Amino acid sequence: MCFKNLPIAFDDEGNAYLKEGLKDPYEHKVVDLGEEQEVLKGLLERNGFIRNIDYDPVTRVAGALAFHSVVDLEKKKVLSTNSMATLFRGYEVILKGRDPRDAAYISSRACGVCGGVHATTAALAIEMALDIKPPPLGIVMRNILLAIEYLYDHPLHLFLLAGPDYSEELVRETNPELIDKAAETKAKNKDVHGYDTVLDIMKDLNPLKGKLYLEALSMTRVAREAYVLIGGKYPHPQSVVPGGLSVTVTASVLNEVYSRLIKFFDYSQKVTGIWDDVFDFFLESNPEYAKCGIRPATMMDTGVWDRPDHYDASFANCDKWGEARWSTPGVLVDGEVVTTKLTELNAGIEEFVEHSYYEKWDGHRFKEDANGMPLSPNHPWNKETIPKPGKQSWKDRYSWDTAPTWDRMPMEAGAYTRMYMTAKAQKAPASKFLENTGTSMKIKVPKHFLPEKTLEWKIPEHWNAFERNRARAYCIPYSAMVAMENWLLAMDLIKNGETKVSVPYEIPKKGTHIGFGAWGAGRGFLTHHLIVENGVIENYQIITPSTLNAAPRTPWGEMGPYEEAVLNTPILEKFDKPEDYKGIDILRAIRSFDPCMPCTTHIMAKDSDHMVTREVTTCACGVE
Amino acid sequence: MVSNNVLIGTVGYHLLRNHSVGPILLPQLNAKAWNEQVSIEEMNWGPIAIVQYFQTLEIPFDRVIFLVALERQERKIGDISVYQWLGKLPDEQQIQACVGDAATGVISVENLLVIGEFFKIWPKEVFLVDVEPGPEQAGEHLTDEVKDKIPEILRILEELTLDGEVLMETEKLQGDTLFEE
Repeated sequence: MCFKNLPIAFDDEGNAYLKEGLKDPYEHKVVDLGEEQEVLKGLLERNGFIRNIDYDPVTRVAGALAFHSVVDLEKKKVLSTNSMATLFRGYEVILKGRDPRDAAYISSRACGVCGGVHATTAALAIEMALDIKPPPLGIVMRNILLAIEYLYDHPLHLFLLAGPDYSEELVRETNPELIDKAAETKAKNKDVHGYDTVLDIMKDLNPLKGKLYLEALSMTRVAREAYVLIGGKYPHPQSVVPGGLSVTVTASVLNEVYSRLIKFFDYSQKVTGIWDDVFDFFLESNPEYAKCGIRPATMMDTGVWDRPDHYDASFANCDKWGEARWSTPGVLVDGEVVTTKLTELNAGIEEFVEHSYYEKWDGHRFKEDANGMPLSPNHPWNKETIPKPGKQSWKDRYSWDTAPTWDRMPMEAGAYTRMYMTAKAQKAPASKFLENTGTSMKIKVPKHFLPEKTLEWKIPEHWNAFERNRARAYCIPYSAMVAMENWLLAMDLIKNGETKVSVPYEIPKKGTHIGFGAWGAGRGFLTHHLIVENGVIENYQIITPSTLNAAPRTPWGEMGPYEEAVLNTPILEKFDKPEDYKGIDILRAIRSFDPCMPCTTHIMAKDSDHMVTREVTTCACGVE
Repeated sequence: MVSNNVLIGTVGYHLLRNHSVGPILLPQLNAKAWNEQVSIEEMNWGPIAIVQYFQTLEIPFDRVIFLVALERQERKIGDISVYQWLGKLPDEQQIQACVGDAATGVISVENLLVIGEFFKIWPKEVFLVDVEPGPEQAGEHLTDEVKDKIPEILRILEELTLDGEVLMETEKLQGDTLFEE
């Protein structure tokens, strides 16, 4: 019984049904946020140490994120938080009424990093809706393409976006007491990265000049080169289509990919060694750092990387092909696996707009899925995107992001969830390179210039900013080894003459066809829910990792993941006067999620279909 | 007469009418009979990738010209300004912001100029041919005001590819004041 809060129960044969006797089964409480704001207002007026701290924009994140917090600088405590997505994009609105074949190309533009992921997710949604099964080589090459995309994205996050938070320059400014200690602390993984002390590493994390920063930039090139061999271009691949890929794959192409992929073998060892050293140093220097960005490991992931012998795109079999993925789909509540079934994961999703700049939609068209599993009126297949710009108010509406929940719980998403879920569930099929122990994931990295090594990522005791970033580092070998395993499969397929990469299909001109695509980006999973009606897209809904992570409060007042993580973050920064306070701890907490706001919020067509207007409220001054 | 190795690059989002003057004119630029030492390229593929591309060039460019459309005050739609990039950098935080935007897919000639300057890829002569687009609009085509200026845009680009000192009047642009409001 995976649902505790939604009115869905299961009979003895495991068939889901809507609990009987409930007047309004999907009713939910709506809490007035005004009371909390009144209390804060009083505190702000009475206590000079309590300040509004606004980050607008939060820098070193992709896109427009603003963050409001109320901080007691005397007690070094965060009192209140609000996460604001400040842009509306409206891909859902743009896609309405179009040919489904446009979805992969248009939705790809939702992000400047993970365009390929959106394209793939759109292709999967169409495959499910229209019953299209790609050939094995198409599936395998799609896996390689997207694993390579992560090899671009993970170093980018670790060294360009979040990494500078742990650099010598920044730490010297915010926690100078750690500098001498870092100079004395020997790096444990010198054999793989070559740095003698933690301070040596931190110096090379310095933005713009540090060798690790510059090396990450050069590694993004290696990944891009491999990517375009399959995708044609980056970040918006031209070859991702429903039914496979529109590219000719030969042994020569695969060899070109391989020559780039192997560069990530040694780099994997280096990056995990570096971040283990840096994060162990922080956590050992001050155990309070374990509370930075802490929240329960309540997360979800749809899994990614399909097995060519399992994936048939159908909804009917999605639990089977989902569990066969190289990363296992599922939901974790406080670190425990609640489900690994894509149908349950799908049925538990709802989106709420009570604190967002959208109007509530009417209707409940799809009351259940194809298996009879009840669906809420707030489920993406039932949701409509109706933008309603308005005044920003902490009491009422303050974000262009919605509040997605699973079984009425705010959920976190991240590439790390992919690893956490897979390691914990132990359902992923046997692999040449990966072993899931229930408490860890062992990743066998073949030799390149460095000798072969088995890296082990262990499920941490506390889920915090440091562990999110550490897990992200381990996602580099994880992704590289999945790419390698698929590369071997692709070589076998070509050797056996199975060179077909796509299947033809037609868009039915009549009838209703629904599907969802579920795949992963560098920063977590995303879903595209699609309804095709009489040959055109009738409804399209996108949920991305940052939609979940940057969510505002639920209607019943629960905080979104950024909000909760920041609220739990102690202020460990050293400063003499409130004016000197930089807020590094809060920024570390937020950046550990790798916010990507371009995907989160869904350029708004105002008054006409043609005028693109940016409705941006980026200043929190004067907000209620 | 042309003896320099010159690159004309277009920078700008697609499908934003006048704001997309570079991408829209790219086919025309490619079709035009330039001297063989003039290369035409779309330069929307990310400042970091462009830095890496310049770093691997066996024969560096002597002059780089960008065709862009940036909204500026006190210009009429279709007005053309020619800027010469003088280099200089904003503060490190701003450079970092440019790198962050670049790495996450933002298309911006300002980011490109700053990042290129930071990584020292620019030749001595970098010019911007900047057409006033007016307010941002969605669409595939230029408005008549900009369409009427196409011959002049092409004439300016051609003049900038000529050998020797650039004699046309240019305004100056530099990184340390680029992001001032």
